[in-house]
Amino acid sequence: MGSIRFDKVDKVFGPASGGVKALDDINLEIGDKEFVAIVGPSGCGKTTCLRMVAGFEPPSAGIVSVNGKAVTEPGPDRAVVFQQFALFPWKSVRENIELGLRNKNLPKAERDGLVAGALRLMNLESHADAFPHQLSGGMQQRVAIARAYVLDPEVLLMDEPFGALDAQTRVVMQEELVRLARVNPRTVLFITHAVEEAVYLADRVAVMTRRPGRIKEVLDIRSVRQAESWDRHERIEDVMDLESFVHLRTQIWKSLREEKGAHGV
Amino acid sequence: MIGRRVWVGLGSVAAVLLLWFGLTTATGFVSPGRFPSPADFWLSLNQIATRGYAGGGLAAHALQSVKLVVMGFVVAIATGVPLGLWMGWDRRAEAAINPIFLIIRPIPPLAWIPLAILWLGLGDGAKIMVIWFAAFVPSVINSFAGVRNIDRPIIEAAQMLGTPRWRLITEVIAPAAAPMIFTGLRLSLQASWTTLVAAELVGALAGIGFVLNMAQQDIYPGMILVGMVTVGVLGWATTYVLGLVERRALAWNVAGRD
Repeated sequence: MGSIRFDKVDKVFGPASGGVKALDDINLEIGDKEFVAIVGPSGCGKTTCLRMVAGFEPPSAGIVSVNGKAVTEPGPDRAVVFQQFALFPWKSVRENIELGLRNKNLPKAERDGLVAGALRLMNLESHADAFPHQLSGGMQQRVAIARAYVLDPEVLLMDEPFGALDAQTRVVMQEELVRLARVNPRTVLFITHAVEEAVYLADRVAVMTRRPGRIKEVLDIRSVRQAESWDRHERIEDVMDLESFVHLRTQIWKSLREEKGAHGV
Repeated sequence: MIGRRVWVGLGSVAAVLLLWFGLTTATGFVSPGRFPSPADFWLSLNQIATRGYAGGGLAAHALQSVKLVVMGFVVAIATGVPLGLWMGWDRRAEAAINPIFLIIRPIPPLAWIPLAILWLGLGDGAKIMVIWFAAFVPSVINSFAGVRNIDRPIIEAAQMLGTPRWRLITEVIAPAAAPMIFTGLRLSLQASWTTLVAAELVGALAGIGFVLNMAQQDIYPGMILVGMVTVGVLGWATTYVLGLVERRALAWNVAGRD
């Protein structure tokens, strides 16, 4: 089980009065095994939403809960994949993936099995003993995803995970994530500013307004994906060519553009 | 390219030696009473190495100095690094300790020498204490800065993996701060040598500083230079050893490899 719930959540940075209001009355429910992407203009507070679920930031008002329990601190039931990977550079790929399992006090034999499985899942077997700096950005993010997946978390929090990658690597990783979601479905909260990425990956896409961030609308992608059977197509560019995909993408684009236009950008 | 660097380095050393010879022995521009010639230097080195000077041979004096530097340095970093890490990690600890630090820090380490001699006499204890005071500060400051400069996502990643407190310190915070910690260690080592020689100049019964002091009283420029060169070589050698340790410890750090 892994459901996420934002209930009347506000976030103010700085002093309680006179601070900057980053989030205003966020209400969102993400069901078990659902993949929800949040898109929005930069600075709208979408990353702050994720950080509150992760337990890195407390809400200023309202409640963020996972499985009905209010989040109070970070923990391995909510694995995070960071934009800048945040691997431990002094640990090998294997050691990076293994740390969370050691923290759970699993016996060595069990850890070895799980790490081997995670390495296989992300095609990292031949790099198990490499250090992060010896790997490309895409490979490093594979390690970060393996490190998160191996924890068997209830929810997976991905903060612009492909934002630091080049365009081609990005596409490969997006396809990879779709493959992962099929093999091993998880509740995912995915933050991005790339509209195509959100539409391609998510079951639902939440569009946020400019600061103070509010949820403007939530679009259902899954029903369209199933009705138009996007999953028949192996390759991302084939999906992105479909009329139903283009339609959704344009709809979100327009919604985001209104946000910018309203402020004369 | 490395070969070229080495040649340039050897060339400049050779030029300095040649200049030395030229200004002293060859032209007599600098009189032997002010600065020793290469021959004087060689004779002095020979004397202290074979017959001894100031109560012992060169090896015995050098060993005494190295021993004290290593002991003072080890005590200083064994206390300084943990304190710096703690201050970096715990804002309350930093708030409590920093004011004391700000008052004590401007006192030159050498100013502690009279007090140290008063307390502990002319033996090893006073020198170790003075080195401790001098070498402690760079270790604390750099360890502190090392922790404060850790990328926040690294800490957050460790937290979301459920890393318990002690493991967080030993496996995440300490290694992440390690490049800065080693910068502090290098400065501490340098400070250890500076203060030791000064302390030995003021009051000692053996050691390189003591040799320098005796040679000054004997008006013996050749031996003064031998003492100075010995400190230089020993300082270089200990720094080199520290560099080897650093390279091993930070093998993962590309920037540190240079």
